[in-house]
Amino acid sequence: MLEMRAIDKRFDAVVALKGARLNSSPGEIRALLGSNGSGKSTMIKVLAGLVAPNGGLILLDGKRAAIHSGVDSRKLGIATAFQDLSLIPTMSVTENILLGNEPLRAGGFVDKKKARQTIRELLDRFHIDCDPEAYVQTLTPSTQTMLEVAKAVSLNPRMLLLDEVTAALHYDEIQVLFQILRELKAQGLAIVYVTHRMKEVFEICDTATIMRSGETVIDAPVPELTLDDIVYYMTGQRPEVAASASEMDVAQEGETVVDVRDLEVYPKVWGISLKAYKGEIVGIGGLQGQGQPEFIRALLGAEKVATGSIDFCGRKLSLKSPADAVRMEIGFVSGERGREAMFPLRTVQENITAGKVAKGNVGEYMTPKSLRAFANQAVDKYNIKIGELRDPASSLSGGNQQKLVIARWIAMNPVLLLLDDPTRGVDVHSRREIHKILRQCTDEGMTVIISSSDNEELLDISDRIYVFYEGSVSDVLSGEGKTADRLVAAMMGMGAANQKGGDQ
Amino acid sequence: MSQRLQQGFSQFRKNPAFAGFVLFAFTILLNAVIQGPGSFFGVRRLNTLIYTSLPFLLVVMAQSVLLLSGTMDISVGVQVALVNVVTIMTMQEWGLSFILACGLGIGAAIIASLVCWLLVSVLRLPALLASFALTYAIRGVNVLIMSVAQGKVPREFYRPYQSAIFDMVPASILALVLALLVWAYVRRTRFGTNIYAVGANPRNAFAAGINPAKVQLQAFMLKGLFVGMAGICLTLVTASGNPTQAEDYGIRSLAACIIGGLSFGGWGSMACGVFGGSFLILTQNAVEFSFRRLGVLIPGFTASTYWQNFVSDIIIFLGLLMTMVTAKGQREALRINLQNSVMFKRRAAHGK
Repeated sequence: MLEMRAIDKRFDAVVALKGARLNSSPGEIRALLGSNGSGKSTMIKVLAGLVAPNGGLILLDGKRAAIHSGVDSRKLGIATAFQDLSLIPTMSVTENILLGNEPLRAGGFVDKKKARQTIRELLDRFHIDCDPEAYVQTLTPSTQTMLEVAKAVSLNPRMLLLDEVTAALHYDEIQVLFQILRELKAQGLAIVYVTHRMKEVFEICDTATIMRSGETVIDAPVPELTLDDIVYYMTGQRPEVAASASEMDVAQEGETVVDVRDLEVYPKVWGISLKAYKGEIVGIGGLQGQGQPEFIRALLGAEKVATGSIDFCGRKLSLKSPADAVRMEIGFVSGERGREAMFPLRTVQENITAGKVAKGNVGEYMTPKSLRAFANQAVDKYNIKIGELRDPASSLSGGNQQKLVIARWIAMNPVLLLLDDPTRGVDVHSRREIHKILRQCTDEGMTVIISSSDNEELLDISDRIYVFYEGSVSDVLSGEGKTADRLVAAMMGMGAANQKGGDQ
Repeated sequence: MSQRLQQGFSQFRKNPAFAGFVLFAFTILLNAVIQGPGSFFGVRRLNTLIYTSLPFLLVVMAQSVLLLSGTMDISVGVQVALVNVVTIMTMQEWGLSFILACGLGIGAAIIASLVCWLLVSVLRLPALLASFALTYAIRGVNVLIMSVAQGKVPREFYRPYQSAIFDMVPASILALVLALLVWAYVRRTRFGTNIYAVGANPRNAFAAGINPAKVQLQAFMLKGLFVGMAGICLTLVTASGNPTQAEDYGIRSLAACIIGGLSFGGWGSMACGVFGGSFLILTQNAVEFSFRRLGVLIPGFTASTYWQNFVSDIIIFLGLLMTMVTAKGQREALRINLQNSVMFKRRAAHGK
């Protein structure tokens, strides 16, 4: 019924899709699989009309379909449940589900009575227990996700796209969802199902399309695939026999700098313990949204810790704000340069010296000469490509901007440096230089905790990798156990920790 | 009965218009106390108060429509003056009838609104800056059309507007009722829900098959209509033309909306705007009266209008502070509720 051929999509320099393809037929549930950044979500967004592809062809019933907006997509009978949800938090459940599709009566009035009935039936069908007049923002994330799916189904589509909807759902909700999906499949809907949970693929999907770095690697019926096959197609490497022993409790030489025990930060982090030693680079891996940013921000004092403890250099750490963290010699580099780290309109020099300035006393006098010397030294040492020190920071390339931010913190010589996905959208060359800088620093005794969405980067740079899954640590990789396939398996929640403790 | 009343009250407390209503009720009380209920609620005085403040109230309604759809226009004040000068001048120079001139006046307000829509929704300029710049452009147009205050309105039009029907109901209030009816209808159409969706989150609205620019276009048209009505009412109040009047309506209408409980984008209701606007009007009224009374009680006491504005603005500022406190309380209750239910579910899932 639907065929996507040779779809290309570039976001500036980043290639999201190159020649990707996807087929879908009525009465079939197709799994769309791939690791982070492989282009699954982009494919879904192309079909939903949120992303316009640079090239390629979409055929519906053999005819060329032009999808330029959400309206076009709906008209073609395509309904989408988005991973990041498309609900309006300040509107009621009823208004949200019927948005753009309200039943009307004479005079253009919205038919409230009919709307109420439709909603009641829909909520019953999905076993959603909530007040139809409640504002969506007052509902739990899992209820919101169920509503997102219910909203898509309520459009009576020919084709249903589900983008990682089960990530926020609980076991019983998933069972309800699967029951409905089976009914819809029997009615002849074409369903595309994006997920990271392998168990679900084998439970409900008929066929699978696996993507890797923007390309479609294979189309196959699910019964013909094994878990090993899927991991192989996703990573390009055959998984070896799973490592026998867990390295969870490997003793490490050296002085403990950070000791986190059973940290909980609501609603994303659920009991994480982590240790980092002096001069070590600790990597944090995992799929998107498994609690990595919240964990790092909790170390920084930007998120409120619910329970658990953080020891820093042998003392209990209780931070009220990032400013406290800076005082304790903790540095932080965010992946979101624009929002959290840089002053794009100020000069390169001001950007480099900002941290030093913040650390000193308010009234402390700094000579222009000393500031310039300080900035020059940083630029030379970290090989930042700039025009002039007085150029605005926005004139630098993305990679150099990020080096600038890192340089600012390193110049303050913190004991612990936290980096949250620092190389997102940074080119390979700058990335390598950033790695080199970090290595230099740890050689001088700094401790680095880095989270990254890029597996290669993690394997490359980290001494040990903590893999997060649903707000807990699913595996810790180090030494020989630091392999791509084990990392991917742990990201899917199939880590040593989970196997040992049994699945939730 | 009392239980249902209680339930109704707790429902109303959660309503975004609650804070605005409290302020509104407070100023009614304040006026009644300092002027004496018999005097304040007297037909003549109330009539004058309503027909003079109606233009502002209509402008607040216009601004509310825009705020709900996630945008704003602070040039509404000079647009009211634009309606006034277009109406008066087309009547005076071209010899048009008053009714026809009013139609042209409303048309001018809608055209001005479309220009603002073009800048804000199509060219995506920041709404505050774009409409601020537009203020000066429209003021220029106003002065070009009418250089100095002049003109008059036929008696048979402004007299009925300023009168009270059967000496009971101010006739001018019909204009407000008309505007509220228009809004009540719009709110119950698809456009009514789309306004909220676009205001709260344009991207999600787009994903749901709504065209945000189109919804904002409709919102600007509706706002143009309300501003047009306000302009006509102002013309009937002053019964003459003045190119530089009502300029502060723009920023004051924004303040009224915020005090009433509207926030930028998709939160609140028209009632918020109406209560907020009424609060502003009644505050000013009470302060003016008090200063007049002081002048009578203390011989030789005089205070410039600056002092009056100073006092009334302080009261308005306090009102604004109060809305922040209530909004914070609402948010906090929401957060705790949500956190508890999430924790409960997660703990159940983890078997803790």
